[in-house]
Amino acid sequence: MPQTLKLASRSSLLLRCFPEAWAEVGSKSPEAVVKRQKSLDDIPGPTTFSFLADLFCRKGLSRLHELQLEGKAKFGPVWKARFGPILTVHVADPALIEQVLRQEGKHPIRSDLSSWKDYRQCRGHAYGLLTAEGEEWQRLRSILGKHMLKPKEVEAYGGALNDVVTDLIKRLEYQQHQSQSPLIKDIASEFYKFGLEGISSVLFETRIGCLEPNVPEETERFIQSINTMFVMTLFTMAMPKFLHCIFKKPWQKFCDSWDYMFAFAKGHIDKRMAEVAEKVARGEKVEGKYLTYYLAQEKLPMKSVYGNVTELLLAGVDTISSALSWSLYELSRHPHIQTALYHEISEVAQGEPIPSASHVARMPMMKAVMKEVLRLYPVIPGNARVISDRDILVGEYTIPKKTLISLCHYATSRDERFFPNPNKFQPERWLQKDESQHPYASIPFGFGKRSCIGRRIAELEVYLALARILTHFEVRPEHEDNIVRPMTRTLLVPEKEINLQFIHR
Amino acid sequence: MAAGAVRLLSACRTLASGLSLPAVPRLSRGGQACRALRVGPSFRAPSRSVSSDDKVTVHFINRDGDRLTAEGKVGESLLDVVINKNLDIDGFGACEGTLACSTCHLIFEDHVFEQLDPATDEEMDMLDLAYGLTETSRLGCQICLTKKMSDMTVRVPEAVADAREAIDMGKKV
Repeated sequence: MPQTLKLASRSSLLLRCFPEAWAEVGSKSPEAVVKRQKSLDDIPGPTTFSFLADLFCRKGLSRLHELQLEGKAKFGPVWKARFGPILTVHVADPALIEQVLRQEGKHPIRSDLSSWKDYRQCRGHAYGLLTAEGEEWQRLRSILGKHMLKPKEVEAYGGALNDVVTDLIKRLEYQQHQSQSPLIKDIASEFYKFGLEGISSVLFETRIGCLEPNVPEETERFIQSINTMFVMTLFTMAMPKFLHCIFKKPWQKFCDSWDYMFAFAKGHIDKRMAEVAEKVARGEKVEGKYLTYYLAQEKLPMKSVYGNVTELLLAGVDTISSALSWSLYELSRHPHIQTALYHEISEVAQGEPIPSASHVARMPMMKAVMKEVLRLYPVIPGNARVISDRDILVGEYTIPKKTLISLCHYATSRDERFFPNPNKFQPERWLQKDESQHPYASIPFGFGKRSCIGRRIAELEVYLALARILTHFEVRPEHEDNIVRPMTRTLLVPEKEINLQFIHR
Repeated sequence: MAAGAVRLLSACRTLASGLSLPAVPRLSRGGQACRALRVGPSFRAPSRSVSSDDKVTVHFINRDGDRLTAEGKVGESLLDVVINKNLDIDGFGACEGTLACSTCHLIFEDHVFEQLDPATDEEMDMLDLAYGLTETSRLGCQICLTKKMSDMTVRVPEAVADAREAIDMGKKV
């Protein structure tokens, strides 16, 4: 599309977003405009009481993504609310989200108050990439980015991931055989196991048996711990710290879950390291294409390796599961799109039974499906930034430094100004970009140096899995009228089980 | 229609100079600003520099208009050149060439742009999020030097002209 078209549409958007600004700016000089900036006090928002009532009485915690839509409808693209002890400025317009991200600075901070950090301090664990800040974060990001984001490096994981996909297909067939039916219940739980097995193969270059007929108990417990931890994250964040002593349960459950995850990761790392040490002792050459090895090579302290691997493990589970579950859910409800994608896969793979990384790189429809799925169901429905060292401008407001700014991705990616028929699954909108689209309206992996480190591996993993699943099966809904909506559990997940029929092709 | 577009354009410029909302400057970038640069002296009379076989000389026009000249090896990316030669381009390559941002965004001369390998989908997606996008924009981390690029000139797009800077400066004073 001609750039100018897109540009013109984006500027008209600005006018739509800030009609007042346009009317008032007129011929005034920039200085005059700067003086007109409004402060934090001018930002509208619900009273603390009504917001808390929303959160705790109207199931608000699991509806946080919908509260974004409600907040935007009520107060406009910028509003403030108190989430527990934290005052948050919500930003729900792509141009404003862009403005915040462009000012995030050298070491972007997601949130400086977090129960995740509190837990690590409390237990004396090291921060991983998700929780570290400043120079420490930069060092980890540089090391991990090199191995996880560079296209060539990522392609190299294709083989290992495809082995895991092979086991996923076997597992789906096994489940069908057991139940003597093409129906597979709760596909998200199958994909949790797939996600954990996938990220383990990337991290340890070993298999941990999540997709075997008998799933090891420790992996079930690990997945359960992630779920509990995510539910408790919201509670522990919403509750002021002093309440942790009175209502002990959430904090305790939260810590227990983390304890298990750290122990699980440590167990696997130590085992892998012992194998390496044995090899070295026997005088054998040690080489590996797995992340734990790279981390150890970089001379990171073991404590830091444990912290990072734990966080990477948990980050690769829900994310993969949600993306795959929603993809198949939507494809099952849109058979013509599924058919088009199936044809694309067949044409590109040209009879190759196992599509590779270089195959999926040439599948535009596949990529459009993924973009559309993540637009409708962004795994991270809302992200955040804290600018710690200076006040910044966001639209007509000056936001004081250290304010928590919540980026309402769910609201922008379902905004009809940028995506006509916003609640409809229409992957073709990504193939012929409409001039109304704003590039910052749907950024499910974030943008910039603090964006998702696992993005490229996750994309590859999901493409390889979808390519193979659709090669083997046609996916149909259990019942046409069985609608599944998303809910927030820190991440956006299906509110109930997704059951689908996998019909052999 | 045309008048409407012009009105929009000027409206946005005014808005940009006041609120400096990011996306706006793209409007002017693709147009006159770039063309003016393309016919600039540096493009008209490129002096062929003498270099050994695997060396390529590249000129960068920095945000302030300064011309930086550096030599890189065939196969190195333009981001490598900026880093290895310590070129002072503020905020360039924030994600260290991992295709996670678009701060190494560069604007190419037409005849060079046409000869570049096509961008991958991943690069296109990142470019979409770039500030000051033009028809001949690419990410420096994805463009590797070839002999043909000898003496080319690439332009660093202007930084986000942010009113926040005005506020900061006001405070410092």
